[in-house]
Amino acid sequence: MDMSSSYQRVPSVRIREMKDDFLKFELRDTDASIANALRRIMIAEVPTLAIDLVEIEANSSVLNDEFIAHRLGLIPLKSEKAVNMLLSRDCNACDGDGRCDFCSVEFTLDVKCTTDQTLDVTSQDLRSSDLSVVPVDSLGQNTGSMGDAALEQRGILIVKLRRGQELKLRAIARKGIGKDHAKWSPAATVTFQYEPEIHLNETLLETLTLDQKREWVESSPTKVFDIDQVTQQVVVVDPEAYAYDEEVIKKADAMGKPGLVEIISREDSFIFTVESTGAIKAADMFLNAINILRQKLDGVRLSFDTQEADDQFGELGAHMRGGL
Amino acid sequence: MNAPDRYERFVVPEGMKKVTYERDMKIMNAGTFTAQREDHTVGNVIRMQLHRDRSVLFAGYKLPHPLEYKIIVKIQTTSQSSPMQAYNLALNDLDKELEHLKRAFEAEISHKQNEYY
Repeated sequence: MDMSSSYQRVPSVRIREMKDDFLKFELRDTDASIANALRRIMIAEVPTLAIDLVEIEANSSVLNDEFIAHRLGLIPLKSEKAVNMLLSRDCNACDGDGRCDFCSVEFTLDVKCTTDQTLDVTSQDLRSSDLSVVPVDSLGQNTGSMGDAALEQRGILIVKLRRGQELKLRAIARKGIGKDHAKWSPAATVTFQYEPEIHLNETLLETLTLDQKREWVESSPTKVFDIDQVTQQVVVVDPEAYAYDEEVIKKADAMGKPGLVEIISREDSFIFTVESTGAIKAADMFLNAINILRQKLDGVRLSFDTQEADDQFGELGAHMRGGL
Repeated sequence: MNAPDRYERFVVPEGMKKVTYERDMKIMNAGTFTAQREDHTVGNVIRMQLHRDRSVLFAGYKLPHPLEYKIIVKIQTTSQSSPMQAYNLALNDLDKELEHLKRAFEAEISHKQNEYY
């Protein structure tokens, strides 16, 4: 037996754009199974914190208690701390009732409307017991990459109160994963695409008139091709805009010029787009996903007793077959 | 009311083994691995890695039912290897690949941060 054999790959990455809540990068020299596993883990298995238990003391608002509890759960919380926290299910310090510092963070909210003006209760009214775990918008910074700064200053709306109405509650945030409930998912969107390779058949293209070229270029629903103003040649301006819709190929066939363009997808290169809710940084989502995948693969290793039981079976089997 | 707990999807019940292995009684060097509380995420990765192994004649996985939280991985190898050996090799190679990927990504991040500051 050749124990030294290995079929390990050596993937490479190149980051194109990195912000706190946005990441775009190229992943090369691996296959779709790894890319998809990492995507799935970022969406469903990277842990964050979210409000999970709500005790309502007073609620005279128009929304019922469970409706408000649900809305509180959906508020993304800064969860850098989550990796080092325990799931309340595994917490020995509090027997999993979720009221200790190892597995939970407490929030309180106490608002009453005393004016004739409608009062907006937002995530900024939540008081946290841990300054590192706060609703995503409340750090006084515009975390959204394209959001309106003034809009985000106001926090996330929970409920509106009119004169005399009040809301008083205690909420417990716990660690969890998106597989359990989507409120724990740190992912706004995570996508990957194959890198397209577009080859134009120049000689065949020269048989087209300028109007035909224009017609063909415009048949693509996304802006992949353009016509060079000077040379009047068709050029590829943005190969990644190609959505694998094959419209340009169909168009070429319809124009009686099959083979005008050849588009192949490189099945070992991926372009990832990761958008975070703000709970954890997009780059940390990917790093956490790698760690979690490694842990998961380590978790499915055969236990020693399973291997040993089979080894004995193997000897017995070989003996019965008359070998050895 | 009688809905099962959500965590049943990813927490292995007490007393249940995470992974079991069963030899195929009719085919040499073939067997079935059953991993509890796993899904396509791990199943597909293992299968594709096994396909890279030249001593693996067959490798496939299935999620038998969406409400049965387990995957089944079937492997047949040449006499040069065994399903267990191939399975262990696949896991080792994947771990090394991911370790490398982690390092490469961290290096790329610090490279990117140096550009800004």
